Amino acid sequence: MTPGLEHFLTVGAILFCLGLTIALSKRNAIGVLMGIEIMLNAVNLTLLSFARFGVGHGPVAGQAFVVFIITVAAAEAAVALALAVSVYRNRDTIDVDKLNLLRS
Amino acid sequence: MPFLEAAATQSPTIDEWLLWAILVSPLTAWALIVLYFRKIPAVAGYLAIAGIGISCLISFVTLFNVIDADGAIAQHTHEWFTAGDVVVNLGVRVDGLTAVMLVVVTSVSLLVQIYSTGYMAGDSGYGRYFAHMCLFTTAMLGLVLADNLFMLFIFWELVGLSSYLLIGFWFHKPSAAAAAKKAFIVTRIGDLGLLAALLLIWSRAETFDIAGIHHWAASGEASDKIVTLFALGIFAGAAGKSAQFPLHVWLPDAMEGPTPVSALIHAATMVAAGVYLVARFFPVFEVSTDAREVVAWIGAATALIAATIALVQTDLKRVLAYSTVSQLGYMMLALGALGYVAAIFHLFTHAFFKALLFLGSGSVNHGTNTFDMRKMGGLRAKMPVTFWTFVIGSLSLAGIFPLAGFWSKDEILLDAWRYDRALWFMAATVAFMTAFYMFRAIFLTFFGEYKGGEPVDHHDPDNHFHGDPAHPHESPWPMRAPLLILAVPAVLAGLLNVDHDFGDFINHALPELPHHEGSTFEWGIALSSLGLALGGIGLAWAIYYKRWVSSASLRELFLPLAGLFEHKYFLDNVYEDIFVRGIFHRGWNRLLELTDRYVIDGVANGSGRLVRGVSSGLRPIQNGLLQTYGLGFAAGVIIFVLAVFAANPL
Repeated sequence: MTPGLEHFLTVGAILFCLGLTIALSKRNAIGVLMGIEIMLNAVNLTLLSFARFGVGHGPVAGQAFVVFIITVAAAEAAVALALAVSVYRNRDTIDVDKLNLLRS
Repeated sequence: MPFLEAAATQSPTIDEWLLWAILVSPLTAWALIVLYFRKIPAVAGYLAIAGIGISCLISFVTLFNVIDADGAIAQHTHEWFTAGDVVVNLGVRVDGLTAVMLVVVTSVSLLVQIYSTGYMAGDSGYGRYFAHMCLFTTAMLGLVLADNLFMLFIFWELVGLSSYLLIGFWFHKPSAAAAAKKAFIVTRIGDLGLLAALLLIWSRAETFDIAGIHHWAASGEASDKIVTLFALGIFAGAAGKSAQFPLHVWLPDAMEGPTPVSALIHAATMVAAGVYLVARFFPVFEVSTDAREVVAWIGAATALIAATIALVQTDLKRVLAYSTVSQLGYMMLALGALGYVAAIFHLFTHAFFKALLFLGSGSVNHGTNTFDMRKMGGLRAKMPVTFWTFVIGSLSLAGIFPLAGFWSKDEILLDAWRYDRALWFMAATVAFMTAFYMFRAIFLTFFGEYKGGEPVDHHDPDNHFHGDPAHPHESPWPMRAPLLILAVPAVLAGLLNVDHDFGDFINHALPELPHHEGSTFEWGIALSSLGLALGGIGLAWAIYYKRWVSSASLRELFLPLAGLFEHKYFLDNVYEDIFVRGIFHRGWNRLLELTDRYVIDGVANGSGRLVRGVSSGLRPIQNGLLQTYGLGFAAGVIIFVLAVFAANPL
């Protein structure tokens, strides 16, 4: 059985849901960050699948998106880890449940 | 307007600007006093006298001018504004009726101002007093000069306002403030009728012009019912202002104001405005028999009720107040009985002798510091000028030949006799009572032993009483002179209509001469009224001078009646308990209060409570945790996606 588009999309969707669940449920900020990374990669996988199976605006558009997303994700990871370190230095914790300064 | 020329031979030639000057002169005095001289008594008083004096002078010029024109009508109208179809004019109308009223108003007003410079001397509100007086005079003159009902209504209300201000002149006295409020509210009830008449006439005749309304009523283009409604609306306004039963209750209380105010406004001029108004629209009342019947019987009832109350009053000024109500009832009775000339003639003579009597009572007050007749007595020797002028005024009011009151009252009695014997009987009874109560007042005030007056309360900062009430003295010249001057018309004014000159003169103010014959002298009526008046005086003399019968035993004899009179027929109680406390406090006001509390407040508090409830329900959502927000966001997206799929099945 040759894997088709729907198999790739299903894997992408499962990955995205896993990532979302991690991002929303992890109390450790690093864990949340990892969840987000998984979601980004799930999106990358989906985009590449579409590009590979020729749906959308030609084969290049999807791949170009993915390159950009990987770049931005790298930058985001750097900033987010720096933030996590900074928060830990200031508050001695990176438990997101305790970082509720937004509460009025 | 062709129907105007029917009565007129030639128009009065007086310049229009002179007529407006009558109005503007006291108005200027008012403005100057209010703006510059309120705190300068010396100027304020003389400014008022000058302003009203000029008015008075022009009024006399106008009168003679109209006499030369044989009572013809002159009218000058200018458009004031238009709103859609409504055209409102400002204009002056001069005819016999106007000219007579002008002279009455300005001359009495002038004399009262002169008197006031003495009476009000030292009062802290001296400037304010004269300002109000000027405003009143302006308003009254405007009312008289107005050539259309709209303008008349404006000045009518201005007159009511100045009356309010002057009754409540000593506003720090609770009784005066209450009296002012009462007068304003009670007259406002009548004015509602006048306003209704104003709207009715506009919707039916599309004119406010007095001549136009005369024409409208006479032409028969409106149904009798509409004319009657209009006439009754006019009469409602007149009844409020002229203190007719059942709206008369404000006038006796209005005596809380300074006495010269009572003399000018609440005896001579403003309260006569109602009579003037009915006379002004007399052609309308001629058409509507029903309305005329109402006027006649209300007038007769008022005359009788007020006269009986006056019998038992112990306050000199209140005797005069009820007498005024009674005489106004007389005038209304005359108008209802088709006695247009008689009513205006009585208005004319009454203005002089009643002003004289009021100023006389003020002079007595100036000497004794009280109006209570039980504290007076024996003032004849101490205040001779006051005494003699007061007697002249009383004789005139009682209707003794040949004084002014005799002639005018006689005409009213004659008209009543011709119209309805029952009306005549009531009027004759009132004539008897009038003589009795006036001379009761005279004997109590001026004869017998002096009982000391009211001691001066030196702790009262508003008391400006000079001299010693224990030793009363004659009033100063500014007060004596008006008394003496007013005594002249009180004696002679009646002679004007002996040859019907006065009647012919004011008859020309009507669009067509009355079909019924004007009053002529009749010996029977004249002698009977004279006899009744003398009988009343004699009875008063027997009871209060000779004391053959003690007044206390007489009171015992008529106890239920006397009690009724002393309590003013319980009308004040009825109004207070039923209308004010019952219907308003417990009914309407309570309803408004409950509406306010539960409906208005309910809406305001309810919306607040709603917001608070919703917010306390929603508050847990904002917990500051980004993950919760993210969960919400994700859930929203999922719901959105599911909804899209549900709407577009694959």
